[in-house]
Amino acid sequence: MSLHRALARHGPAGLGLLLGLLALGPALGPGFVLRYDMVFVPDPPLVFGPVFGSGGSGGFPRAVPSDQVVALLSAVLPAQVAQKLILLGLFVLAASGAAALVPPGPEDGRTAGRFAAAAFYAWNAYLAQRLLLGQWALLLGFAGLPWAVRAAAGGGSTGRYAVRLAVALVPAAIGGFQATLVTAITVLPVAALTRRARAVPVSLLVIGLVIGLLSLPWLVPALGARAVTDPAGVDAFAARADGPFGTLGSLLTLGGVWNAEAEVPGQGSWAVAAVRLALTAVALAGFAGLVRAGERRSRALAVAAVAGLGVACLGAFAPGVLKGLIGWWAGFGPFRDGQLFIAPLVLCQALGFAVVVHRLGRLGAAAVAVPVLVLPTFALGAFGRLAAVDYPGEWRRVQAIVNGDPAPGALVSLPWGAHRAFEWNGGRVILDPATKMFSRPVVWDDTLVVERRAGGAIRVAPEAPAARRIGDLIRGGQGSLTAEFAAQGVRFVLIEQSNENEFLSRLSGASPIFRGEELLLLRL
Amino acid sequence: MVKVLAALAVGAVLAGVASVAVVNVAAPTPEPPNKPLYNYGTR
Repeated sequence: MSLHRALARHGPAGLGLLLGLLALGPALGPGFVLRYDMVFVPDPPLVFGPVFGSGGSGGFPRAVPSDQVVALLSAVLPAQVAQKLILLGLFVLAASGAAALVPPGPEDGRTAGRFAAAAFYAWNAYLAQRLLLGQWALLLGFAGLPWAVRAAAGGGSTGRYAVRLAVALVPAAIGGFQATLVTAITVLPVAALTRRARAVPVSLLVIGLVIGLLSLPWLVPALGARAVTDPAGVDAFAARADGPFGTLGSLLTLGGVWNAEAEVPGQGSWAVAAVRLALTAVALAGFAGLVRAGERRSRALAVAAVAGLGVACLGAFAPGVLKGLIGWWAGFGPFRDGQLFIAPLVLCQALGFAVVVHRLGRLGAAAVAVPVLVLPTFALGAFGRLAAVDYPGEWRRVQAIVNGDPAPGALVSLPWGAHRAFEWNGGRVILDPATKMFSRPVVWDDTLVVERRAGGAIRVAPEAPAARRIGDLIRGGQGSLTAEFAAQGVRFVLIEQSNENEFLSRLSGASPIFRGEELLLLRL
Repeated sequence: MVKVLAALAVGAVLAGVASVAVVNVAAPTPEPPNKPLYNYGTR
C-alpha cells in the first residue's frame, strides 16, 4: 500500500485521535473525568435485576447498558483507563466514520475532503457541548452514526445487510436510549430513500428488528418502570440560544444545548459565533450541492436532519405540544431534550464542508484546521472544564464496606439532592457518585433543578417511585426517620459531613460505621 | 493566485478570532465552590 493510500485510508482515524488528545488534554491525566452526567467510579459494580440501570430506585434506565459495559471493561482494565479509552474512541470513531461517508470527488481533493469531514465531525459545538454535559453515552451513538448510515444505505443479501447494520449499531446500543433514538431517526430515512424500491420494506423491517433487539436492555426495564415524566422538563431541557443569533441560529451552528454551563467557553461572543455561522453557511451550501446532484444518501440525510431539527424546535417554539404529548404518554419524554436530535445535521454539514474542500484542490489541506479555529476553546478540556481527579480515599472505603455487606437493603444518599460540586473535583458539578458505586439499590433524589438566568428555578419532579417515597418522608416533618427508612428496606444511609447535623438528629439509633472528613456512613 | 490570497485572508481572520477567544478564556478562574447540593444547570 502506497503512503498516499495509507494516509487516505487511516489518516482520518489518526486525525480523530489527535483531535481527541487536543480536546481532552488535562482529562487524560491520572484520575477520573467527572462532569454532570459523566460519573465513572473505581471498581464499578456489575449489577442487574432490580438495580439495573437506574441506581435501583425504580426510575427510567438512563444508563443502560452503558454502565454495565463500563463495569465489564473495568473488570479487565482500571476504570479510569477504560474511561479514557472510551472518550478517545469517540473521536476516532466519529472522524473515521465521517470520512468514510464522503462521496467520490476529484482525486487530488478527495483526501483533503475526507480529512475535512473527519475534522468537522469530531470538532463541533454539538460534540463539545454534549461532552461538557457529560453525555458520553449519547456521544457513542453520535460517533457511530456515520457508520450506521453507511450500513443502512449498503447493499448485499438480507442476512449480510442485517449483520453489517447490527455491527454498525453497536456503539449506539451501548450508549442506550438517547444514542439509539438519534440513530433510529437517521437510519430509517436513509434506508427508505437509498435502497431499491423493492428492498425498502425488507430493509425497514430489518432495521426495526435490529434496533428492537439491541434496545432490549433498556427497553424492557423502561416499559416495566413505574416511573413518571414531568412535562416541566420541556421548559428545563428545550434548546436555547447560546449565542447572538437566537435559538435557531444556535441550532444551525450545532449548539443550543439547554444547559448554559455546558457551553464551550467563549463560544457566545460575536466574533466566534459569526465565524461559526459563516462555516455553517459554507457547509450547508456544499451539502445542498450534493443533494442537487442527486446523491441519494445525502437526500436521505437531509430528511433526517430536517426531522431532527424539527424535534429540536418543537420544545423551543411549541412547548405546549410536547408537554401535551408527554402528559399523554411518558414515552415522549426523551424528546424534551430536543437539541440532541440535530446529530444528523452535524453529519450533513461535515459532508458539505468536505465537498467545498474538494473543490479547493490542494489548498483544501489547510481547511482541515478550520473546524478547530472556529471553536478553539474546546481544546485542553475546554480550558479546564474537563480534567482528571482522584476520589478521596474515603469514598473507596465506604464503597468496600457497603459492597462487602451480604445483607440486603438499599442505601439512601443524603443530602437529598441529585448533584454535587466537590472541591476535590474543582467545583465541577456531577451527579452524586453514590448512584454508581454500590452493588445494591441506591435511593437518591432524582428531582432535577435547573436555574433560570432570568431568576427562579425549574424543578422537574422525581421520576423514581422510591425517590418519591423517601423524599416525602424527609420533607414530612422533623421526626425520626430510622423506623420509616427501615420499613422502606433501607439498610445504609450515606451522609456528606457538611449536612451531618441536619440528618443525624433524625436518624437516632442508626450505627455510624464509617466517619471520614467528607462522608458519614450509617447502618440502620 | 486569487484562491491563495483569499485563503490567506480567511486564514488570517480565523486565526485572529481564535487568538482573541483563547486569550479571553484563558484568564484565571475564581476559587471552585464546595457545595454539597447543586443545580443540574442553568438556562
